[in-house]
Amino acid sequence: MSVIQPLFRLLCVLSLVLAGSGSGSGSGSGSGSGRNASVSHEYCVLGAGPAGLQMGYFLSRSQRDYIILERNAGPGSFFQIYPRHRKLISINKIYTGRRNKEFNLRHDWNSLLSDRPSLLFQRISRELYPNADDFPRYLSTFVKELGLKVKYGADIGTIKASDFNGNQGYILTDQNGVSYQCSVLLVSTGLWVPQQVDFLGSDLVEGYESIPTDPEEFKDQAVLILGKGNSAFETAQSILGRASRIHLYSPSPVRLAWQTHYVGDLRAINNELLDTYQLKSLDGLVEGRLEDIAIVRREKDGLRRRMAKKRSQKSTEGKEQLYLTLTELLDQNGNNISKITGQNLPGFHTDNFSLRQPYDRVIRCLGFRFNFSIFDGSARPPQSSGARGRLPGITAWYEGRGTPNMFVLGTAAHSRDYRMSAGGFVHGFRYTVRAVHKILEQRYHNIAWPATKLPISQLQSWILRRVNEASGPYQMFGVLGDIILLRGSYCEYLEEFPLQALPQLSALSGRPLTDQGLLVLVMQYGLNRTDTLGPGRAESEWTKAWRSNFLHPVLYYYNTLPTEKDMRQRPVGWPLPRPEALHHMVEDFLTEWDQPISHSQPLRRFLEHCLQTDLRAFYAESCFLLSLTSRTPPLFCRQGYLRKQGIVGNSHLWQHAREAGLMADHQRDITPGDDTSVSEYLKHAGAAVVSTMNFDL
Amino acid sequence: MCIVYLIAFLFSLTSEQCSSKLMEDSSQSFMERMHTGKTSFIYFGNHVNPTIKLFMEQLEMSADALQDYGISVVKVNCSKDAIANYCTGEKLMTKAYLFRGSEVLRSFDIDTVFDVNAIVSHVLFSVLFNEVRYVHTPAELLRVESAAKQNSDIVVGHIPVLGLPEHRALMEAAFVYGTKYQFVQTSGTLVLKHMGVVDLSSSQARLWFLHCKGVSRRSDPCPSTPMRKPLNTINIHTFLQLMEAPLVTESVLDPSEVDVVHLHLGVPVLYLFSQPQTQHLDRATAQTLGLQLRGEVGLVLIHRDSPNVKTSLKYNAAYRLPQEDVKYFTLNSAEGVVKLFKEELLQEQKLENEEEDEEHWSDLDILDDEVSESVYRDRDLMLDLESVIELTSDTFQITVTQDDITVVLFYFKWDAVCMAFIQSYIEVADALEGMNGVKLAAVNCGEWTDICSDQNVTSFPTVLIYRPMAAAQLYRGMLGTKSLHRFILLSLGSSPYILSSSAEVMSFMEGDLYSKHMYLTPVRVLGLFSSTHDMGVTSFEEAARLLRGESILGLFAHKEAEQWVEGLSVNLPALLVSRGPGVPYEVYSLPSSSPTDLVSLIKQVELDRFPELTVENLPWYLELGKPLLLLFIGKEDSTESTKALAEIKQPLSSGQLDSFLPCWIHLGRTPVGRSILEKYLGFVPPLPVLVMSQLKTGEEVFLFPPERPLMAKNILQWIHDVENGQEQPAGLIPDGKWGPPVPFFDFLAIMDQEAPTYAVQRAPKMKTGGREDHRENKHVTPNQKQTPHPSSNPQAPRQHSEL
Repeated sequence: MSVIQPLFRLLCVLSLVLAGSGSGSGSGSGSGSGRNASVSHEYCVLGAGPAGLQMGYFLSRSQRDYIILERNAGPGSFFQIYPRHRKLISINKIYTGRRNKEFNLRHDWNSLLSDRPSLLFQRISRELYPNADDFPRYLSTFVKELGLKVKYGADIGTIKASDFNGNQGYILTDQNGVSYQCSVLLVSTGLWVPQQVDFLGSDLVEGYESIPTDPEEFKDQAVLILGKGNSAFETAQSILGRASRIHLYSPSPVRLAWQTHYVGDLRAINNELLDTYQLKSLDGLVEGRLEDIAIVRREKDGLRRRMAKKRSQKSTEGKEQLYLTLTELLDQNGNNISKITGQNLPGFHTDNFSLRQPYDRVIRCLGFRFNFSIFDGSARPPQSSGARGRLPGITAWYEGRGTPNMFVLGTAAHSRDYRMSAGGFVHGFRYTVRAVHKILEQRYHNIAWPATKLPISQLQSWILRRVNEASGPYQMFGVLGDIILLRGSYCEYLEEFPLQALPQLSALSGRPLTDQGLLVLVMQYGLNRTDTLGPGRAESEWTKAWRSNFLHPVLYYYNTLPTEKDMRQRPVGWPLPRPEALHHMVEDFLTEWDQPISHSQPLRRFLEHCLQTDLRAFYAESCFLLSLTSRTPPLFCRQGYLRKQGIVGNSHLWQHAREAGLMADHQRDITPGDDTSVSEYLKHAGAAVVSTMNFDL
Repeated sequence: MCIVYLIAFLFSLTSEQCSSKLMEDSSQSFMERMHTGKTSFIYFGNHVNPTIKLFMEQLEMSADALQDYGISVVKVNCSKDAIANYCTGEKLMTKAYLFRGSEVLRSFDIDTVFDVNAIVSHVLFSVLFNEVRYVHTPAELLRVESAAKQNSDIVVGHIPVLGLPEHRALMEAAFVYGTKYQFVQTSGTLVLKHMGVVDLSSSQARLWFLHCKGVSRRSDPCPSTPMRKPLNTINIHTFLQLMEAPLVTESVLDPSEVDVVHLHLGVPVLYLFSQPQTQHLDRATAQTLGLQLRGEVGLVLIHRDSPNVKTSLKYNAAYRLPQEDVKYFTLNSAEGVVKLFKEELLQEQKLENEEEDEEHWSDLDILDDEVSESVYRDRDLMLDLESVIELTSDTFQITVTQDDITVVLFYFKWDAVCMAFIQSYIEVADALEGMNGVKLAAVNCGEWTDICSDQNVTSFPTVLIYRPMAAAQLYRGMLGTKSLHRFILLSLGSSPYILSSSAEVMSFMEGDLYSKHMYLTPVRVLGLFSSTHDMGVTSFEEAARLLRGESILGLFAHKEAEQWVEGLSVNLPALLVSRGPGVPYEVYSLPSSSPTDLVSLIKQVELDRFPELTVENLPWYLELGKPLLLLFIGKEDSTESTKALAEIKQPLSSGQLDSFLPCWIHLGRTPVGRSILEKYLGFVPPLPVLVMSQLKTGEEVFLFPPERPLMAKNILQWIHDVENGQEQPAGLIPDGKWGPPVPFFDFLAIMDQEAPTYAVQRAPKMKTGGREDHRENKHVTPNQKQTPHPSSNPQAPRQHSEL
């Protein structure tokens, strides 16, 4: 693996870029604060959150002309507010029993990628679930130590597309009127606009972003929370000891992360309310459409008002209680919700309606959406088809659909793997950002996707190495996968390519394809989910590996690159189309896929099938024999022994191999059979023709 | 059937016999035995070790077997009765002898007669020496055929490996049927080809019956019938019986009544019905079919005009499989019936066997890789890495700069090749323990992946040599104890050694200087330059640096250098090569070239011109791409061997063998050579033996005729004959493709079977994007009348489809 060469090329390109931009942008970068000033950069990164800084690191490492624009005074400002109850639910596991840095990243969900081994989140916090304040602190350290170029206080109000010498570029304008001309725009603004649903009375609802976090404020209150995600449960959990009654209402039932393997679903760390619900301690979950409900204040009728007057003044301290009702029950004509009577409430019609009791507060915890508003029509990416349109729609290589040269990074890019993988989270998108950076390098600087050239005889051990340590495919399961381009006696190993972009592999990676086929290594959870904790949840028989439920490596072999159409029509639930041959490596309780019988040998046989060659290893002595007695000895001998790198072994090992009948014993080529004498038989059976031969030869 | 019972019965008999037939002779009984003139197989020994013990057990078993052939098996305990000639000398213990009377027919290495099958087959082979013809080439076989024509039939056995049960089966058959048929044994692949075998790579034993007795004209070839079943005593017997049986049996009985020998031999029978008016035609058809199905199916022609035949007229044929009832059918053509038998009825039986075989082979949880399996068998051993320093990210940089030489092994714990090599590595570390300036270390790349990436290690195992202030050097030699040990010791010296006087040059070339390396390699290569200012000196020094550890190089850049090439055909700069004390130097001119070119030049001149091939050095010689003139020498250094070596050296020095690589293999030091000979020729002839292989033209292996004396003149003549196509090849090197060794375990096929829709591509036009959301909405759209209710159903979360 030659690092020197790409580095050299990179330096060449860099010097060209510097020479080219020297005259043009000299005036801009110096005095950006002036009115109507214009600054131009090759890359503009919008937002100094984890994704923006991660991209900043890669751009800085490849010495590109870039700027990170951030409207706040420091990085990661989202985390100054959120999560409201200040506990991160991303795992910061410091002790893994291993010293493998790559492997340890599998269990470090907060760190960003860099070449500084010390620049890990564990330096800031030792907590398994750290305090949210630690994250911006970590990001600041990251910026400072790596010297990333971040411009704080630049609040971009509009983004327009513009033509730069025939290529679409973008002009960003900040609050001071400074415009930034960007050949490539990298949008890492995250999701921060609170998601709202329009229904009658939604103005009576408080938002997650603004609720008080002091539980005392909820003392003895009945609370209805709209939403069943982590923010809803987090809120519920914080007030569990004070509120009288907490109900959670949203369309879909709770999805537990430990059942779905999706870290965006409800994490066990937030799920105390499930306990109190199932143990009937006055809390509960209800399913229903948000668009169908209305939150109303009860129109008090005469009788009731008189009766309740004295008490209500004392107990509710002037606050009016809120009722949940259905739009269909409201007055069809005027929608006048100030005149609510009992008949407008569902409890009037169905006496045991679950949510018939009034609430003191209704809180909206429905998550966030992408801020589309800063994009001018010319530069606005479409809304994603999934995730309720909250995210921008992007291609498989994270470029905005219809917005060339604009890429979306970080949580905002989650539409690619929404509710499937970890692309919406730091531990996942740090890898997609790296992948996008490689695509940028190829597209704009003609630097091909880094590849390790391996002799075929080394392929198996390289795959095992990746399977046992690589963090990217492990976190971004089903989304990023390693690609192995077969080239006859050797292969090229490309790491962490976005799988959905496989049909464009050649263009995106700059690696030409041959007709020898390719292998794709993906980590996958099982597709037939059953009872997550029930019996039979784990598979240990390698021949049934395809029934593995837990994360396990899967290899796909294609003769030719799948087309877009193949990709679209891939089997339901599969990350890739049906291949020519498929291999599942059986899930492992310890996630160590290194055992000879269950892991290595089945993998070797799969590779043998794909490559149509014997990949067994042979001792030098066997290679000696095979080199002299066969015109083409096996691959292992050709790539090892005949290149003078034979594996000699020792008599102890040979003894084992001979006892197993695998290595030739030179006196007795084949182990003698256990056939005993049948000559007696001959004597009798063949009596008629018994030899009369004498022995005087 | 009855045969099987009989065998079972006999087995039970033999196993119940506890008295051994193995006799023990005293010197007196031995003398008596010598006078009887009977044949006996005698082993002389004086003590018992585990190997001998095993051999004795086999010997005892063979005593029972050989008794039936009138051969006694005898052991002599030399510690009790020292019998002259046999109880002395080195060969005691490792040899057994076949006597007829007092004459030794043949002596055997006990390695050759390693078990009862080997003993019986070799002994019978020797006894039947004149009865069983041994042929090598198709030509020889044709000679045997023409002698036998109109006289007797021939049984040809192809036995690729001697001493196995198949060989024994053939020999026993030869013993019994030897007077009736001419037996021929062969092992050559050419004979196989001649007999029409296509797949030459299989090492299966085969047998043919050549019907020579019945040929009408001597010019006709003998028709042959191959035996399709595996070679064992019962099958051979059955087969020979079938060959004796008439081609077509005529009968006037109903099929179920007809009794033919085939039914007793477990062979299917085909019945054809004949009408009186078409009798001649039917008979002819039956004959043709009989020929085509000979050995596999018996043929009966039933005359319908007989009142005993009651079969309905709508059938014109019937068949009967062993142990089944007669099945009737209507025959349309003769080809149809052949097809029926060959492709269906017989095939079925065969398929069953094959399936069994396959299951046996692909027992999926058995490791079939010799390295993996041998390492796996050591899995309960704790690896003792005491003498090797295990490096970590923290210690790596400091450690590799401390000593003169730090050798670092980069390995994976789960890689069998690495773990096999690490045993050798520890052996080297143990051997070098305490030596100053050398340290052996190891990096587990499964844990310290960062070090391995930083050091650009992409191949495992890798050994790098670190020296302070120098780039790491890749160890490119064999991954074995000896090679690595040698490399490290040689690396300790400087490269090149700078010599400053002619006296030093002399002492360097003769191996006196740096003599401690003498045992590592006797070869010395000296670069001669007229002055240190010569342009080539730096190149040479760089090349020497690259070759550090691999070669011993000297540099003499001095005005006296001229003296060393005086009178030789080359000018300075030059390379002077010494292959050991007293051996005349070789000299090569040294062109000015890049260090890497110099490296390959030096590596090339270092190569021996008549090397002894060993496991460790073969790749260097195969690289030359020349055909091999390969002399195999036996374990014992006999005068014959020495002579043979000298005879080849003779034309070598005169340059007559330049287009070849003359080389030799010593079977004592390189026992695998024996297997090579067996693969080449199918047997191991008496040594020394000269073969020619690896010819550019391909696959043939030529054997120097054993009857000709191994002399330079004859060898050259033979080479000449081979080149002119006048010699028959003695064997073939198969061009086997190394495909996957076991059938593929096809997950897709299993999925298709167990979950038919699971792995199938979707039909076109199905929308993928946003699917989950639509479905979700549909799912929970509340019915107008239905009010929301708590999901008290615990099934609910699981029912929801996740994507």
